[in-house]
Amino acid sequence: MRVHQQVADLAPHSTGSIVIKGCIWQRLNVVRVSILMMVLLVTASWIFLFTLEGASLSGYFSAKNLYHAKELLGNMLGLGAETPAFLDMTSWHKALALTYETMQMSVLAIGFAGIGMLITVLPAARTVADGSLTLTSTWYGWLVFGTVRFLYILSRAVPELVWAMIIVFMFKPGILPGAIALGLHNFGILGKLCAEVVEDLDWRPVRSLRSSGASWWQMLFYGVLPTVTPKFLTYLLYRWEVIIRTTIIVGFVGAGGLGQQFKLSMSWLHYTEITLLLICYFLLVVLADATSGLLRRFVQ
Amino acid sequence: MARQFVKTHDRAILTVILVAAFAWSLSAVPWDSTVIHAGGKAAILQMLKAMVRPDLSPETLKLALVSSWRTLAYAVAGMSLAIAIALVFGVLAAGILVTGRGRLAVMGFFRGVLGFMRAIHELVWAWLFVAATGLSPLTAVFALAIPYGGTLGRILADMLNDVPPEPIRALRASGAGKLQLLFYGYLPMAMADMTSYIMYRLECAIRSATIMSFVGLGGLGYQIHLSLQDLHYNQVWTFIFFLTALVMLVDLWSNQLRRGLVP
Repeated sequence: MRVHQQVADLAPHSTGSIVIKGCIWQRLNVVRVSILMMVLLVTASWIFLFTLEGASLSGYFSAKNLYHAKELLGNMLGLGAETPAFLDMTSWHKALALTYETMQMSVLAIGFAGIGMLITVLPAARTVADGSLTLTSTWYGWLVFGTVRFLYILSRAVPELVWAMIIVFMFKPGILPGAIALGLHNFGILGKLCAEVVEDLDWRPVRSLRSSGASWWQMLFYGVLPTVTPKFLTYLLYRWEVIIRTTIIVGFVGAGGLGQQFKLSMSWLHYTEITLLLICYFLLVVLADATSGLLRRFVQ
Repeated sequence: MARQFVKTHDRAILTVILVAAFAWSLSAVPWDSTVIHAGGKAAILQMLKAMVRPDLSPETLKLALVSSWRTLAYAVAGMSLAIAIALVFGVLAAGILVTGRGRLAVMGFFRGVLGFMRAIHELVWAWLFVAATGLSPLTAVFALAIPYGGTLGRILADMLNDVPPEPIRALRASGAGKLQLLFYGYLPMAMADMTSYIMYRLECAIRSATIMSFVGLGGLGYQIHLSLQDLHYNQVWTFIFFLTALVMLVDLWSNQLRRGLVP
């Protein structure tokens, strides 16, 4: 209510002819309207969930669900099972082979995404398109800028799993479709992040290269790349960590690795196998975080 | 000697490592004609053709709009719960409420809990919840809120630890208690950064709510799934474009808000 009142109070100032006042109004306005919208959105969502979607707290936290949850946990811990998969050597061998495969899939995915990003990132920077970096601005520069930016948004808006669902239509199940799906999604994210790095670049060295007659490629290799490389590498490693977490997901639709086996075990109700796969997944995530941390030390 | 070599050529070494890793991963794929399905190329063409002609019939548009709202509602509900989790766990993991000998233990414990929450992907949480309790709207919300709470909590803890010490010392010197320090010192200073991070995570939450269709939750993901199964590629693209628009809107909002927050 208070917020609402303040927005109303502030509104008349917007017509003020003093520019500074206008700016302040705008600033407060965006923040306040955002808060109001957020509160409305959260309230509406929860009301929607509890009315139309039929969510119910008492129904969820019931004795029946508690019983089922306990049963699942017991099954996963291998209570009553003859040989739990996580105590069986052959199962471990199989799971570790899948873990290795999953690792390969993640590296392949970040490779695809990184190559795609490197090819497109320069035209996707606003400072390149409008010529403030390169001293030349062309209509096709803007066209490429718009197209690439749209591709970035489209590929990052669609989750990896949905890409995977589409791509398994075309490729045989295995690590390649999974890597392509992961790569497509992360191409959009990396592109956006790295284009922003190029936009925030100090333009003076690049401009002076350009005005002393450097070609486009010379500008890229001597002006842009040396400055942006550390940040690009940081983003690549960071996205790789995220990809490792997501590899299990694309496997659900038959894109290979731990995820595929996870889904199979889920449908066959092999609960101890699920535990084993989750242990491997957890180890993979920890290992990737450590590796990425180690590699990051190189660029700092 | 070796150390010096590594130091001077650090970036070159890293590049070599990365390229070698990529080559190693390429070798894992059997590069022959069996990689693509028999009808794979035709499917790619059909898919691309459908992209420029999405299904824009009124029924599909209405369905897409309703599905978008459902996806957004789940994302927002999950995020709001995640923020609540992050506030409690993040503050505890930053170790600013506890002093003395127990501080490191409390910090370590809660950082560990947050790490565990976010190490497992939201869809895996959802699978586990569905296996344990069956599908309910709350299943999806909890499955979203746990990993997102883990990520947000960790970031909040890091931000609280990075708050400059001078204002905090000034507050303490004027006799503020621990809670007062938190509400008048730490939280307001972490607010701006936290808000833009939350907006970014909201964008991710929309995607995560979309893929919750895999455990049977309705929304855009579910519709994409159905249309794909019926081979209605035109409809697939309609829903994908709605999803893109949703993400773009949140992105636009977050940019405006960030501009408003940073003077």
